[in-house]
This record gives sequence, C-alpha cells and structure tokens, in this order.
Amino acid sequence: MSEKLTQRKAWDIVLDKLTKRSLWMLHYCTGCGAIELPPTMTSRYDMERFGISAMVTPRQADILLITGYLSVKTLQRVILTYEQMQAPKYVIGFGSCTINGGMYWNSYATIKSLDQYLPVELYIAGCMPRPEAIISSFTELIDRIGRGEANSWQDYYDNYDFYKKNQEHVFGEINTYVDIKDDKVKFGI
Amino acid sequence: MSTVLWIIFYPIIAFAIGVILLGYGRKFNARVQRRYGPPIQQVFYDILKLMSKRTNISHGWMHDTALVMLLGGTLLTLYFIPVPGFDFFSGYGDFLVVMYILLIPSLGMALGVGETANPNGSIGISRALQMLAGYDIPFALTFIGMAILAGTTNFSEIIALQQAEGIFGWGLMTNPFLGVAALIALHGMMGEKPFEVMVAPHEIATGPMTEMGGKYLGMMMIQHALNVVIELTIYINLFLGGAANWASYLVKLFVLMTLILSVNALFGRFRVDDAVRFMWKVPLVLAVIGVLIIIL
Ligand code: SF4
Repeated sequence: MSEKLTQRKAWDIVLDKLTKRSLWMLHYCTGCGAIELPPTMTSRYDMERFGISAMVTPRQADILLITGYLSVKTLQRVILTYEQMQAPKYVIGFGSCTINGGMYWNSYATIKSLDQYLPVELYIAGCMPRPEAIISSFTELIDRIGRGEANSWQDYYDNYDFYKKNQEHVFGEINTYVDIKDDKVKFGI
Repeated sequence: MSTVLWIIFYPIIAFAIGVILLGYGRKFNARVQRRYGPPIQQVFYDILKLMSKRTNISHGWMHDTALVMLLGGTLLTLYFIPVPGFDFFSGYGDFLVVMYILLIPSLGMALGVGETANPNGSIGISRALQMLAGYDIPFALTFIGMAILAGTTNFSEIIALQQAEGIFGWGLMTNPFLGVAALIALHGMMGEKPFEVMVAPHEIATGPMTEMGGKYLGMMMIQHALNVVIELTIYINLFLGGAANWASYLVKLFVLMTLILSVNALFGRFRVDDAVRFMWKVPLVLAVIGVLIIIL
C-alpha cells in the first residue's frame, strides 16, 4: 500500500486536492437513521458548503451512505447499487447496526457487519448518529481523499473473491450484471 | 489574427462564464434557503471530479457519439452568436441558422439516452421534446416580430439598430410584448423551475442524466455551462440591445441570470402538460399580440 502511495504522480496529488471538494451522495435509507439526513442537508447544518450534495442515481454518486440495518433482501439491492457506481466510490456505514448488528444483533433477517459484504470506508458510530457526527465523518472523508488515503474501494476489485463468497453465503447466487474482474483489467485499477 | 485568437479562446471564456453563472446560481439558491451554500467555483470542482473518474460505463457506440454531437452542436451554436468584439461568424449565419443548430444537441441527447434504455431517461427525453414544442413556438414568433421590426435577420444588424437609439431602442422597450414573451420562453428553454420538467430529480431521477456517470455526465455538465451562456446571450442580443463592451455584457448576463434564478427559487414544478399549456397560453398570446402590433 505504502509503495503505491509514494508512487503517486504529482498530478494525482493536485487532482485529489481539487476533487475532494465535490462528493455526491446516494443515501440508502431503509434504516431508522434516515431521519437525521434532512437536517444535515438543510439550513441547520448545510452539507452543501463542503460540496456534498444528494444525488438520485447510482451512476452519478460517489458516496453510498447506508443508514442502519440491512436485511438480507435489501443487501442484494445495495450490492446491485454499489456495483453500478463509478469508481472511486466510498461506502459509509451509518449507525451501530452496520457495525455489529446493533439492536438487531439477534435478528435472523439482518446482516451484522457491513464490511463483510462491501468495502466500507468509514463507520459512524451511534444509534442514531446526530448530524454533527455525519458532518464530521464527511470532513474526515474529505481529508482522507485529500491525502490520497481513501482507497478502500480498490479492495473490492482486489479481493472480490472474499466479498463474493460472503455475499453468496447469505443469499445464494445473484447476477449483478457487472463483471468486477473484467473491469479491474479494463480500467487498470 | 484576432479572429483566430477569438475562435480558439472564446469557448474557454464562455465555459468559464458559464461555470461561474451556474455556481452563482447554486449560491443564490442556498442563500434563499438560508444556507451558506457551496463556493462559487463548485461547478468547476464537480466537472473536474466527473472527468477524473476511474471507471466509465458505455452503453454502446451511439451513447458515445451522442456526447460528441451534444458538445459539438453547442460549440457550433456558440460561434454563431455575436458577443462584443467577436461577430465573425454571425455574418455567415443569422438567427434562422442558430434556431436550426440549437436543435442538434437535443437530438444528440435523445439518441444517446435512447441507447441507455433507461425508462426514466426516455421519459425525460419525451418531456424535453414536449417542452421544446412549448417554448420554441413563442420564441420563434418573437424573433419573427423582431425581424419584421428591424427588417433583417442578422444578429449584428439588429444589435446595431438597437444600440443606435440608446436604452429606448432596446427590443424590450420598442416592443414590450415580444420582450416579455421571449423572457418566459427563455425561462422554459433554460429548464429552470417551474419548467424543470425534463430533469425533475424527485420524479424521474434526473431524466436524461439517469444513466450518465463519470466522463459522460462531465461532458453534459460542460455542455450545460455553455448552453446557459448561449441562451442568455441570444436574449441579450435580441431584446437588451446586445452589448457594446464586455463590462456591460457581463452585467447584463448577471442581471438576467438573477431574474431567472429569483423566479426559479420561488416556484415548485409544473406538470409537463401544465407547462406546455402555460407556454401556449401566456407567452404565445403575448407574442402574437406583439407581432400584430408590428404588422398593423
Ligand atoms: S443503528 Fe439504531 S437508529 Fe440506526 S438503524 Fe440501527 S437501530 Fe435504527
């Protein structure tokens, strides 16, 4: 990893400094935490001042914000959505349900740890996290992109077998219509 | 020599103005909603980010070609509209040419989005074409009126005629009916609320842009930035007496943009049939009255 970082070209460093100011977010809101997002977007906390705005389709988005628990069924949709996004892309797990299952720990229908299925860049702890916590996680993400350290998305291309195995373990085989290994070669990631 | 320089650098200048106008629009909207808002160069960051995406999904060769048509048609239109210091091409093509090539980008978009086969995209395109039927008729009529009034279809001559008589020679003053009709049609052309039916993020997920990501969306945003400048400049040339120098041109651009943004900030969205009906009721009737006044 550090090998890769030292070899970054000067142009990439400049580009990171500029592109970190523009992040478009797709929020996947089946959990209860979605209620904290409207104050984050509107005049009280105003996340647009960091260049973060909400987008409506996965093709345009950079951040996938998973608010709260994911049932086995919704996990499939999240994976379909994630694979449609264009790299670099960042998954943010929001709330304790995405970290360890939270209060749904005993449930037969929800998954426990999101990072078994998707490469998570950041977790926001809390049940549910306040808008201040969301904003601080966004600024943390911006700083990481600026330093060129937000590389979790590459893990999905590098360790696809690991993620695929875990995904198939919970819901069997699905066709996501995206050939990750092919993309890795095609785009040189 | 200066013409060559203009041809090379004018698209870059227009792009810079368009990006700043769009950034200003986002800041303006934020302030109306009592937010701090993004920095004024935000749109530039957005475009840079989109163009530096690592993966890009192509849906086929029409999808790729369409983007070239989109950007190429817009650049072509840009050259035919005179700005202070650069009216080389407007001697070769008048307003009729501009009306004609303004359709190339929409056609390109329709073809490209058709290939992505996304239902939201197709709905967006059909809405865009319906709106086109709405605003293009009043807009063409206002131009016919101005052409009869001035006795020419050439942009530069219309501008010269208006500037000869100072502020009272402006098209908006000599025929306010046409001026107001064209202003409303311009609003529809720019797709700002209440005529935002084509994009409508909460209804059809940004319509034509649904399947566009990465560099594709970046090209569309560049085109949008150029398009804003084109549409505002057409109106300034026809009804606000063109511009004698760059200072007055920029002032007129920002004033006109502010007017449109204020309406945009106040309204919700029309349904598409309501929008077309409104276009055929208000600006069309105003334009017909304006033309009748000139003829009679
Ligand atoms: S972390 Fe708490 S608030 Fe969020 S989805 Fe789980 S139970 Fe709900």
